[in-house]
Amino acid sequence: MLEDKAIFASRIFLNAALPLVKVLVNDVPALKQAFAGKNGVIQVSAVIGADSGGSGSAGGGAVMSAALNGLVGTHFIVKDGEITVGLGPSEQKPNVELRFKDIPRLNAFFRGNMGALPKFSGVFSPLFIPLMKTLLKLSAMLMAKKPPASDADRELLVKLYFYLLANGVSQLNKAGEPGVHKWAAASPDRVYAFRVIGKDELAAYIRVKAGKTRASRGLYTRAMPFFCLAFRDVDAALGTLLQIDDLFEASCNGKIIMEGAPEFGSTLGDFMLTVAGLAK
Amino acid sequence: MALSYTVTDTTKLSSTAIYGEVLCELAEQHQDIVALTADLASSTKIGAFAERFPSRFFNVGIAEQNLFGIAAGLAKGGFVAFTSTFGIFNSCRALDQVHTDICYQNVNVKMLGTHAGLSFGQAGSTHHSTEDVGIMRTMANLRVIVPADGVETAMAIRCAYQTPGPFYIRINRGFDQRVYADENYGFTLGKAVELRQGTDITVIACGSCVNEAIQAAKLLDSGDKIKVRVLDMHTIKPLDEEAVKKAVQETRRIITVEDHSVIGGLGSAVAEVIAGCGKGCAFQRLGIPDTFAKIGLHEDLMSIYGIDANGIVTAVREIMGRDFEEDDNWDDEV
Repeated sequence: MLEDKAIFASRIFLNAALPLVKVLVNDVPALKQAFAGKNGVIQVSAVIGADSGGSGSAGGGAVMSAALNGLVGTHFIVKDGEITVGLGPSEQKPNVELRFKDIPRLNAFFRGNMGALPKFSGVFSPLFIPLMKTLLKLSAMLMAKKPPASDADRELLVKLYFYLLANGVSQLNKAGEPGVHKWAAASPDRVYAFRVIGKDELAAYIRVKAGKTRASRGLYTRAMPFFCLAFRDVDAALGTLLQIDDLFEASCNGKIIMEGAPEFGSTLGDFMLTVAGLAK
Repeated sequence: MALSYTVTDTTKLSSTAIYGEVLCELAEQHQDIVALTADLASSTKIGAFAERFPSRFFNVGIAEQNLFGIAAGLAKGGFVAFTSTFGIFNSCRALDQVHTDICYQNVNVKMLGTHAGLSFGQAGSTHHSTEDVGIMRTMANLRVIVPADGVETAMAIRCAYQTPGPFYIRINRGFDQRVYADENYGFTLGKAVELRQGTDITVIACGSCVNEAIQAAKLLDSGDKIKVRVLDMHTIKPLDEEAVKKAVQETRRIITVEDHSVIGGLGSAVAEVIAGCGKGCAFQRLGIPDTFAKIGLHEDLMSIYGIDANGIVTAVREIMGRDFEEDDNWDDEV
């Protein structure tokens, strides 16, 4: 039986981290150029074995909910260079596929273990090399231990982390992670947000209501979020996101402004660490 | 909720008693202040003024129309006239004089409507004053204040003296819990006081319901982890529209609570602002429904009509279960 932790990690890699491919392609000119004019379907998948049911509270449903033909995965439909992300395996045969033998190997690969290589198909497709370039860039960004040198990369990294954390927390709830699910189940209709002050494009939020969650990108403009982790600037955000700065000290010295009740900031901080812990 | 104060305390905290004292203090400093009543000097606690300034005090007898007509005349002659009678008589029995002699003339008459809402509940429907705010806030030129406690009553009296034009200040028979420790909390005419921060819901209250809202917010914070913003909307007219719009934007859910009919009072004034700002908001008015209220003690009646702390807690829990967005798409954005 798979451990719940493995299921939760796979949900984060497949449904929160891999979708960032689209963000990279849109924001990095070299990658946008690499995909320009190309068409087809790309898929990253893992085979669900008989032992993939989950051992505890998550149960089999957490994996199986997005499974098709014995696979879990994420696919990208590329149309004239524009990418649409689809959670779950594609219903049509992909042009390029990275297929892992099982979920633990998928998790190991995305944690940086190159010994857990997938089976590649479609290596001669014009989409293959752009995909690998993008995955390498994504890996380099998310594995960074210190802020990138260029302003553009620093902002991009903050955006990637915001999206990863918002989607990661939401996915953990959907997968039944006990701590996150308990928090979501008890919540009235509320919005939790991350943002960098003065940079409206660097923002993400999660709407939570009675056990349901939805991660979204950008500023929540309908109302003031119930709670917002607002960072003074990009470097302040990276200090926390890369775990260089302590959350408490950062809030004391003004790098983070907790807009809302501080105890909810602490809860959100714990969930950020849960996502980070599963992804590393 | 059980009573947490005694008869001794209520005497000490009575808003009407504080009104009487503040008026005497002002009258010592300002020779233009006169006071009038319609045979209710004792009940409205203006008797102290009568004893200290007999030549500036006028009891017109049980004749409220005369009370306001004479007050208007004195104001026209250069005095600042403070009138004291029950809120129900102020707003109903003598409304023509209030309308034409005072508001239309825009004169310096400061009307103290005491025994407001259901604070004289045991006296019955003839003495319940549950329509006065709705009536008075439609009068042009008139400012309407509903203080939360004795301290705020004092602030309102001073503000009314300093601000030209007619005022209606609505205070209870007594029995008010103290909301403010002293006068240094920043009372400004037309500006709500934020007594508790919160981003889940805003409870906008006036009069005796302000303290109930604070107690409810404490209960909801400790028990339900719901963060309630509490606004003391002491000035019903001119209403602090910015505070209401801010609450719509920042908390998306608003409950008003008042010891008054749900028609025409604070809830209606807030609803007008919400409708006008064009933004969606879950909204509920707590107050006396469209009925003549039952007869009984103030605390019992507040409980019956759900305008005490428990009633507010129940209403907040109910409204927190509602959606503030119709969108029911729970798929993560990718």
